[in-house]
Parts: sequence; structure tokens; C-alpha cells
Amino acid sequence: PVRCPVPASHRALPPPQGFPGAGQAPGAPYGQPPPGGPYGGPIPAQLPGSRPGSVGPTPPGGRNAPPGVDPEAFSWFQAVDADRSGYISVKELKQALVNSNWSTFNDETCLLMINMFDKTRSGRIDVYGFSALLRFIQQWKNLFQQYDRDQSGSISFSELQQAFSQMGYNLSPQFSQLLLARYAQRSSHPSIQLDRFIQICMQLQSVTDAFREKDTGLVGNVRLSYEDFLTMVVTRML
Amino acid sequence: MAFPGQPVPGGGFYQGGYGGAPGGPTFPGQAQDPLYGYFAAVAGQDGQIDADELQRCLTQSGIAGAYKPFNLETCRLMISMLDRDMSGTLGFNEFKELWAVVNGWKQHFVSFDNDRSGTVDRQELEKALMNMGFRLSPQAVTAITRRYSTRGKITFDDYIACCVKLRALTECFRRRDTSQQGFVNFQYDDFIQCVMSV
Repeated sequence: PVRCPVPASHRALPPPQGFPGAGQAPGAPYGQPPPGGPYGGPIPAQLPGSRPGSVGPTPPGGRNAPPGVDPEAFSWFQAVDADRSGYISVKELKQALVNSNWSTFNDETCLLMINMFDKTRSGRIDVYGFSALLRFIQQWKNLFQQYDRDQSGSISFSELQQAFSQMGYNLSPQFSQLLLARYAQRSSHPSIQLDRFIQICMQLQSVTDAFREKDTGLVGNVRLSYEDFLTMVVTRML
Repeated sequence: MAFPGQPVPGGGFYQGGYGGAPGGPTFPGQAQDPLYGYFAAVAGQDGQIDADELQRCLTQSGIAGAYKPFNLETCRLMISMLDRDMSGTLGFNEFKELWAVVNGWKQHFVSFDNDRSGTVDRQELEKALMNMGFRLSPQAVTAITRRYSTRGKITFDDYIACCVKLRALTECFRRRDTSQQGFVNFQYDDFIQCVMSV
């Protein structure tokens, strides 16, 4: 029988959707910020760095934050909302988030995250959604750093294996291999950046939930028609 | 049971198996194949192409026609659709297969893009998918059209990405439906692998 991932109370497993996260300062890829820094210009290249012991300078603004919104999150919202629409789109979000190798977050991950915090199904998020999103990213970033044992800035095959195991998943090495072939840069030591790591974990959680919903007897096995299969996957993965 | 994605008679999505070994040594006649020219121009010594090279290759071959060339993520998806050895790359035979498949989809798109705008609307996408044989539930259609449309329009690139995903999922399912009944018993591990590899 399948060993289902440990319940959300486990420290290592991110809580289910809705994330009552700790309101920490949003994180940036670790290591030094790029020369010229992210703090110049109207749109930051990345969210402020979380160097040990410091919160990082906040972009100007942040005054008149809506009730319940952290002023720092609000000032970032204003900075990322390039067209001043009052909402953040996938495109705007993508430009604000970078991996440790300075590549911007991929479209798929940005889309998944926007959809998660977009209550109106409009394809964009307001300041409240964005504020929750920042906390969400910080939590994932913390996990990522935890699993990146050699602090290389990306997650290797063995680190991914261990991440899954610690999260409570019982998945084959072949599966990790498959993910690396699919998502890592082609190199002698393929590894996964933060954006893909977030994407993988979000999707894994989502399809596991979908599977568990159908597996009422908890036998680790479900019988699906072609149409059910497509519906399940398409509604959870896209 | 006939599986969707199969073109009208004459096409060959599933016939002939999966083609020869990925990459590998040249075979007689390969050099004469016009597609080989595009492929060889970007493939390295290993006779394989990755997503970047595929993007270049497809752009140069002009398969996108009047439409904008594919974005990198779509190319990555296309590779994973045919990448049986899970190497993250395609050999020439896999490339040829991809070419035929994409061409088929392109014909379909063109037939729906009446105003030649390079985009189709949601209803047209739904019709096109049904036409290709994908039997989708209303929720699936909603999820798909929401995911792939921008301001109510679906570009050629996104349309291809959508077809690739549906085909890959279908193939995953079909391989496991040994009795061809339209039902599969999935173990959790296998399900996850199937779904996340798309």
C-alpha cells in the first residue's frame, strides 16, 4: 500500500493551500546580490536579500498600506506592479523573481503561484494575494536552502531524493531522474533551480491529493477511465 | 478503443511503433532526407538535440510558417513527449516523428484560424480538440482554455503546447491500458511518474 505523505503538521512539509505563513521578509536567491544591486531603479530585479541578521532595504513607498498588509510587502507590491493596475500579472511576477543563477522564474511556476493566490480567477493577484505569495515563496526558499546541502544554489539528484523522502513521499530514484532530465540544465551535474523545485513540489502535492481523493479505500491503487484521468490531471496540473 | 490524437486516415501518430533508436549512426537514405539537413545543422557529435537546439531547428525549418516560432518551454515539452530514453534530448528519428505530428496539428490550427490572425478563440480551441478526438469533460475544457488563453485568444505556440500535453498524457494512459478497454489501474508511484513526466 502507498505510504502517503506525512500530514501537514510535519515541520518539513509545507502546510496545505492557504499557508498561514510567518510574516518574514521576502527572500532573494542566496549569495551576493548582483553588482548594481536590486535596489536601484523602479522595478527591483529581485526581492530584497535576506543576508543573515538583516532585513534588507525596502523600496520607497509602503506608506498607506491597506489594513492587514505588511508595509514592506506593500512597497514590494507597488514596485512589482509595473503598470500600476493594482494587480500583479504572471508577466510582472516573472520579472520580479530570480533563481540563484539569475534566470527569471519560469512561466509555469509563476502561473501556478498566481492561480493559487488568485481568488477571482482573473489570472492576476491583488495586494493581499501578493502578500501571502511572498510568505509562500519564503517558506519554499527556506526548504530549498535546507535541502541544498552543499549550498550550490541548486538541487542535485541526491538532494532531490532526500527532499522527497523528508517531505514524506516514497518515490523511486527513477522518478527523480525523470524530473532532472525534464527540468535541469543539461550538464555533467544536472540540478534544479528554485522555480522548478517549487513547481515540482506544488504539482506533486496537488496530484497526490487528487489520487488520495479517488483512493477512498487507501489501497494505493485507483481505477480510472481515460476521461477521468485527463480531467484529474488537467485540472490539477495546469 | 481508438485513442484521440490520431489523425484522419492516412496519418500515423501511433502506427509503426516509435521509430528507431534515438540518434545513433546514420542509416541509408538519411542524408537525402531534407529534414536531416535542419537536424544536422544543430545537433552536435552525439546526434542529439536539446530544447534550445530544437527551437533553432524548428525556426529554421519554417514549420511555424507565418506564425511566430516556438518558445523554449514548448520545445522542452515537445522533447519530453517523445523522449523515451529520458535523456532530455531527441535523436533524428524522434525529431522526424515530432515533425510529422506538429505538422498535423498545424494543419488543424490553420483550418480554424480563419482570419489568419495566428490565434484562435476558446470555442475554436474546444472544437479543434474534439475534432482531434480528445474526449474532455467540461471541467477539463475549462481548465485547458483558461490555462492556454490570453485575453480570450490562444496563440499557435500555446495551442501546440496544449496538444503536446494532451498527447503525452494520452500516450501515458494508452501504454498502460493493455486490454484497450479505456480503463487503467494506477499504482500511486506509477501515476505520479506518468503525470509529472508530462
